[in-house]
Amino acid sequence: MASYYDIDDIIMEDELISTVFQIGANGVGMLDPGAERNCVEQGAKVELPFWLAHELHLRQAVAVTVPPCFNQKTRKEIQADAACVDLKSRCSYFYELGCKVAPLIGDRTIGSFLLYAFTGRYKEVLSKAHSAAFIMAPKFLTLLTKEETRLYEAARSSMTAFKKWRVGGPRFERASILRKRKPTD
Amino acid sequence: MAGQSDPHLSIFSSEEVEFLAEDELVEIVPNINMGSLNFIRGDFGPFRPQIATEVPLWLAMALKKRGKCTIRPPEWMSIEKLTRVLEAERDSPREFQPLPFHYVEISKLLFDHARDDIPEIYMVRSLIEDIRDVRFHKVETGLQTISARTHAVKLKNLSAMEVNIVRPFFVRTLQAFYKHDSPQMIHQPDATTNRQPQVVNRGPRRDLRRR
Repeated sequence: MASYYDIDDIIMEDELISTVFQIGANGVGMLDPGAERNCVEQGAKVELPFWLAHELHLRQAVAVTVPPCFNQKTRKEIQADAACVDLKSRCSYFYELGCKVAPLIGDRTIGSFLLYAFTGRYKEVLSKAHSAAFIMAPKFLTLLTKEETRLYEAARSSMTAFKKWRVGGPRFERASILRKRKPTD
Repeated sequence: MAGQSDPHLSIFSSEEVEFLAEDELVEIVPNINMGSLNFIRGDFGPFRPQIATEVPLWLAMALKKRGKCTIRPPEWMSIEKLTRVLEAERDSPREFQPLPFHYVEISKLLFDHARDDIPEIYMVRSLIEDIRDVRFHKVETGLQTISARTHAVKLKNLSAMEVNIVRPFFVRTLQAFYKHDSPQMIHQPDATTNRQPQVVNRGPRRDLRRR
């Protein structure tokens, strides 16, 4: 689904995930703020953006640890009440990151966890989006991830457009060319 | 789908749906003498005073605006018919009553342009509003039952405007479910989600739910 030019995909790949270096690396001390010399030692824990971690993982230079938004605590919270969990502050690209990070960790439960979370939260988005069309910025919007916000906006904007059309009354539209000509008449 | 205002969401605006509805036929009673009109879709007329004839809605509105005809409200817009439909809508929580595909738009256009031709317009208007609300509520409760195994949903008798309102939300939801339910993401059925064994064959169309 994600294309090369998809800006959200690019921003999502900038999310930091924590990794453990499997080999020592020289000349990349800037990656590890705690490094004394200009190198990263073997076994050092370093936070890397996803795109870099992914490439290094392919070369077996780092091992990826589970990001905090997929840990046991979050899972418990999602199971308790999926709709009330503030996923935006944890990771606004929760689903996208989950899809990408799962094969790196080799954790096969992440996929079904994402599905479970989405199923639970989607119903809340649905019921709020069409009914609360007039309230400006409901508090619950701050809990939604990027994908859910877009879903909410899609529903809300089509509903407002319909309401606008319904009370709009008869349309008498003049072509712009007529309007321009009028003063000369 | 050429000519949409927003190709990104694959959605028509309400005005565009209204435009499509203007092709529906309505019965008018002209008060002028005029030969028949030849259009691409067919010939309409000839128009003789007090002889009813069928024309597209846009033509009816144009004639009405110039005071050349009266519009006969369609059969389904009578109070008895609408009351019966409303009752049936309330009684069957999972089914939609058959109404014209463009009933929302046609009724709005007639209310706007031919108020004096509709008997008891306030009653008719409020009945149609009620029907629309009941139906939309049904759509919403129906949407709540979408789950990972939903690959298509059949909505019989849903009207153009109703489909148009839920389309952006609906498409995105199905896409998201499709993405998260893809076999690459789900390797084994997970005990916590009570999922049934994976359906490997994703048919392009399947009726999952009778509505």
